Amino acid sequence: MNRTNHPHDELQLLLDERLDAAAHARVEAHLSTCSQCRRELEALRWTQRAARGLNRPDATAPPEVAARVFAALDEEDRRASPSAHPERTQRGSRLLPALGIAVAAVIALAIVFLRPSGFDPTQNAADDLVRYATATLALDLETKNPQELEQFFADGRIAFPTRVFDFGMMNFELTGGRVHDIDGRRSALFAYTSASGGHIICQMYEGGVSELPDGFERHVDDGIEFRVYRRGTSTLVFWQEGPLVCVLASDGDPGEALAFARAKAQV
Amino acid sequence: MTRSDTQKRADFETVAVPLMGALYQTALSLTRQPDDASDIVQETFLRAYRTFDNFRAGTNARAWMFTILYSVFTNRRKKAGREDANVPIEELEAKYWQFAASAGPSPDEVDFGQLKSAEVEAALNALPETFRSAVLMVDVNEFSYDEAAAALACPVGTLRSRLFRARRLLAAALHDYARREGYTRSKER
Repeated sequence: MNRTNHPHDELQLLLDERLDAAAHARVEAHLSTCSQCRRELEALRWTQRAARGLNRPDATAPPEVAARVFAALDEEDRRASPSAHPERTQRGSRLLPALGIAVAAVIALAIVFLRPSGFDPTQNAADDLVRYATATLALDLETKNPQELEQFFADGRIAFPTRVFDFGMMNFELTGGRVHDIDGRRSALFAYTSASGGHIICQMYEGGVSELPDGFERHVDDGIEFRVYRRGTSTLVFWQEGPLVCVLASDGDPGEALAFARAKAQV
Repeated sequence: MTRSDTQKRADFETVAVPLMGALYQTALSLTRQPDDASDIVQETFLRAYRTFDNFRAGTNARAWMFTILYSVFTNRRKKAGREDANVPIEELEAKYWQFAASAGPSPDEVDFGQLKSAEVEAALNALPETFRSAVLMVDVNEFSYDEAAAALACPVGTLRSRLFRARRLLAAALHDYARREGYTRSKER
């Protein structure tokens, strides 16, 4: 069969109700004369319906899973406020019976299995750079204007103030940014490209450099500590700016990456 | 804890706890291991709680939590170096196109309606993770293309391409299974 004679992808868009009126009419017209496509649509429709049937809105997690989650949250509360009494919140206590969980009986056991969070944004930052360099990281806003991007983040998208640096004097041009996630934390991401094919990604997120893993080179410049990591061919430079952590990821020379980070940190 | 801490915990539980079952089911489909799914759900809640101050009330909590879940899953899989390919992709795709090329229905036409949920779930779980996650996000959990693409950290076009291919693979796998089990329209059960 010549597959191009049949609107296979459009059948799926029809299924998802994502065809505009003209395309919808065109596909319906084809269906009225093509038994192959009617049969294919029926099979796809059934497959989608079967998959949707796996959604169980009333599904509950096993009690031991819920207990582990609550124990982890309790531990997090204790870590954040060491002097606090480690009791569950009143609302949480009300929610538990609704979940059918005997938390009080199993929390002690759950704590035994509690594992550290393992927050490590270094690999994420390196992966993001690779995805940007290979054009597989979508940008929410494409712009060369740092102020426009800062405003984009400030329009209710990012809860903290961002500072998008202009690396133009270093021959890197801003290409845009996105509201991102770095190892589970919301981040403001902005991307740059040089005429010679180099790439830089900067991210800002709430946290502390003290959470970063070991294995870094430490540089201090003008009272600012820079932690430099190597991940594959990427150089990652982290530093603290008030309640925020900034990371600059570069696929260029490591010394150049540190110079860029210093330039951004000291503005 | 201060009062604001207590309030944060209460607000977080109100938003996140009702999603725990769906998150666990999805984690289980992704990992196929109850212990791994349990670890991922715990880490998802912990990360979400730590960044809850960034979450804007009234926005899509489901999309937010599933995005974190998938990020946790992806990071763990990378660290473990696991890749999966449980079904012969090319063979299944060839079967799909063979099925799509025939005008049918034939006398022994397969009746998908006789398949049971457990059989559908097994077929879905046998798909490679890239395809499985697209179906899990869009068809099972009914996220929009945009939400699913954001959660899976890929462009919308990539998500759509994976989803379409995944549905074809799943349809072929189910068709194959139903035929082997004798679920035909001439043999209604």
